[in-house]
Amino acid sequence: MTIRYLKKHAVLEGHVAVDDAEALAQWLLQQRVPAVHLGKCEDVHGAVLQVLLALRPTFKSSPADPLLARVLGLA
Amino acid sequence: MNQTDLLDQFVIEARECLEAIGKRLLDVEQDPDNDELLNDLFRSVHTLKGNCGLFEFKPLERVVHAGEDLLDRVRHRTLAYSAELADALLEAMDYSAQLIDQIERHGRIDSNADARSIAHASALRSFVCGSEPAPSPAPLAAVPVIARVPVSSEDLAPSWTSRLDLAAVASKLSVLALRYLPEVGCFFKGEDPWRLARTAPGLLQLHVASASAWPQGEDRAAWDCYQCNLDIVLCTDAPRSEVEAHFCCVAEQVTWCDATANVGVAAPPGEPAVSPLLRQRVAVLWSDQCELLARAGDSAGTVGAARRALSNLLGCLDGPAGSAASASLAEIAGEVSASSLLVWARSNALAVEVVAVTATASEATMPDRDIVAVLPRVEDSSAASPQKVLKVGQEKIDRLMELIGEMVVAKNSLPYLAQRAEEVFQQRELAREIKAQYAVINRIADDLQHAIMQVRMLPVGAVFQRFGRLIRDISRKLGKEVNLVVEGEDTEADKNVIESLADPLIHILRNSLDHGIELPEVRRAAGKPPAGTIRIVARQESDRVIIEIQDDGAGVDAARVRNKAVERGLISADQADTLSDDDAVQLIFLPGFSTADEISDLSGRGVGMDVVRTAIERINGGVELSSVQGKGTTLRLSLPLSMAVTTVMVVESAGRRLGVPMDLIVETVRIPACDIHHFKQARTTVLRGRVVPLRALNDLLALDAAPMLNEAGELAVLVIRHDNESVGLLVDHFHGASDIILKPLEGVLAGLIGFAGTALMGDGGVLMVLNPKELLQ
Repeated sequence: MTIRYLKKHAVLEGHVAVDDAEALAQWLLQQRVPAVHLGKCEDVHGAVLQVLLALRPTFKSSPADPLLARVLGLA
Repeated sequence: MNQTDLLDQFVIEARECLEAIGKRLLDVEQDPDNDELLNDLFRSVHTLKGNCGLFEFKPLERVVHAGEDLLDRVRHRTLAYSAELADALLEAMDYSAQLIDQIERHGRIDSNADARSIAHASALRSFVCGSEPAPSPAPLAAVPVIARVPVSSEDLAPSWTSRLDLAAVASKLSVLALRYLPEVGCFFKGEDPWRLARTAPGLLQLHVASASAWPQGEDRAAWDCYQCNLDIVLCTDAPRSEVEAHFCCVAEQVTWCDATANVGVAAPPGEPAVSPLLRQRVAVLWSDQCELLARAGDSAGTVGAARRALSNLLGCLDGPAGSAASASLAEIAGEVSASSLLVWARSNALAVEVVAVTATASEATMPDRDIVAVLPRVEDSSAASPQKVLKVGQEKIDRLMELIGEMVVAKNSLPYLAQRAEEVFQQRELAREIKAQYAVINRIADDLQHAIMQVRMLPVGAVFQRFGRLIRDISRKLGKEVNLVVEGEDTEADKNVIESLADPLIHILRNSLDHGIELPEVRRAAGKPPAGTIRIVARQESDRVIIEIQDDGAGVDAARVRNKAVERGLISADQADTLSDDDAVQLIFLPGFSTADEISDLSGRGVGMDVVRTAIERINGGVELSSVQGKGTTLRLSLPLSMAVTTVMVVESAGRRLGVPMDLIVETVRIPACDIHHFKQARTTVLRGRVVPLRALNDLLALDAAPMLNEAGELAVLVIRHDNESVGLLVDHFHGASDIILKPLEGVLAGLIGFAGTALMGDGGVLMVLNPKELLQ
């Protein structure tokens, strides 16, 4: 798995594939204050990006990819 | 291009012109007040005349010239268009067509043509108020070209470009902005729009938003994260072709915008990026602001607005004058009165105008520049995709198709080779590689075949065109009033299919006109509108083209058909009595049938519908007739889209391989021998509650062998359709389907009954393809 769901936040690592989008969306919806770590995230699939854009969790750290960071409003 | 080529070209073009003229003449007759049609007609005639002049074909030019003069009068309303005039023009046109045939055959016009051409020309001239002298020949001018100024709705940047910071990339030589709206289901196709966008070549900026608003509150729980809702805007400095190639799979979801043309505002100083049009506009707006300020009693808001407008206008202009002016405007700080701003605006107007005027003057040498600057996109797109038509002779296409056919056959030998490599030479690895190569070649061959099919496709309208004339002539001769309605003329089919359709359709239409549509008095008495309607509808249904010819005439009289059929000895009286009305109507397809009592030049020879059916069946088509007495008749032709490649099922019987056309096959079944009922010589079986007669293929082909049973004691039965009934053919083995190029039987074999033709198989063998219809008769 490229997403680790911890108590307070989810950690996205490496390349997050399309299959993870739904689980991530479900998890984010269940959280009272959803938060994700993107520090180790290299790239995401379009569907995952869409989940992040739509549900707008708190980003604990910004991804290394400047383009992705810009699109998520982190740079 | 030498003289012969030029002549060929002339013949082709002249034919096209004549066709267009013929069509337009009929259109104009329907709607004589339509200037556009008349002008179009005149242009076609004029073009033809111009072309004739090039070759000194005097007789042809004389006729066409007379026609042109006549049409010129009509066009200028000094002469009324009438049916007689149309008759004369149509006749002259027919004569021109004959002349062109002569030209094509001999390269010149027979010397005796002069007299007839003079007759035609004077017939035409007689309409032109007689007394006038023949006008001097017009110069061989080209067709008047209608100047079309393309109008673009995109002279301004689309609103989505505002999501990009185009000013930041203004230093690039060319910037291409594009908006990519992935379709909703794109994730299910394995597409990743984000990845596609961020890997775009030369990517400068990227902006992602939602296509429709993201779900809020309660809706979030029900939101489907696999319904793509992304709206991606990006700009790149890569060449357009490269970017297009990158987005080629989703080309229809991408909107383009040449951002360089639209960021002229932000172009670097020193380059003449500001269009002269913009400068003129600035000058006009500037003086507008002055007028606004000059009005008495303006509020502070107006002054503020005017000030903003002025500073924005300055922002649009570059150069030292502009920047100096904006600096001086900035000096007028805080609240200003209308009058002080007006003074400033007037004093600086000169600077603005100087910029504008010098720019305009520098562009004045190129008067068209304005339009070019406003419509950069239009020009770009027309330069990128010029609509060029290549005229190629049919024999070249046919040759290409033959070659592709050979290629298809040749490629089919590879699987046999692979099999041999494996079985004979024990080279399994090699066999696999051959198969892999075969897959590649197979794909290319399929594409080739498809492409050549597309080239050969013609709209059926090409045939329908001549019917307008036919119906007009015949209905006038018969004293009937007929409207022809054509629908679906864009439906496409193979050229050969279309061409072989022409004769049967003419027969059908003649029949409809002669037997179907009644005389106006009769129609009125029957409570129908006096003018009959013949409707030709073409459409595509899966891999077949359906053409329906409907008339609202008298319909077929079943009783009369029965009597006539008995009278002519086509069926016995007993048979006739047992036929239902629907079946009786079908008798008109019998050879030698005619209901007309006397032979006219239209019908009565008893070759009508029989010819139609034979011609249609020759191209693997079918004819169905349904008729309601008093209401009308509908003929339904069903034709294959293309005849080049036939799919056959290969079966084996008595050790021989035979092909059966796939479109006749209903199913293949294996039936235990004990389920076959014998009654004297006849064999039947019950298939899904229906009795199916069985015939042994060996018997039909006079092969002396019994059908073979398989290990389970079953017989292989190929169920085929025969005259709307199912018939089972007993064969030995099924060998699967194969695409073949069917060659008709020729020469010594031409008279062979029961076979549709032969085909070359991949292993070099010849496959005989059966014609079950003939075989079962």
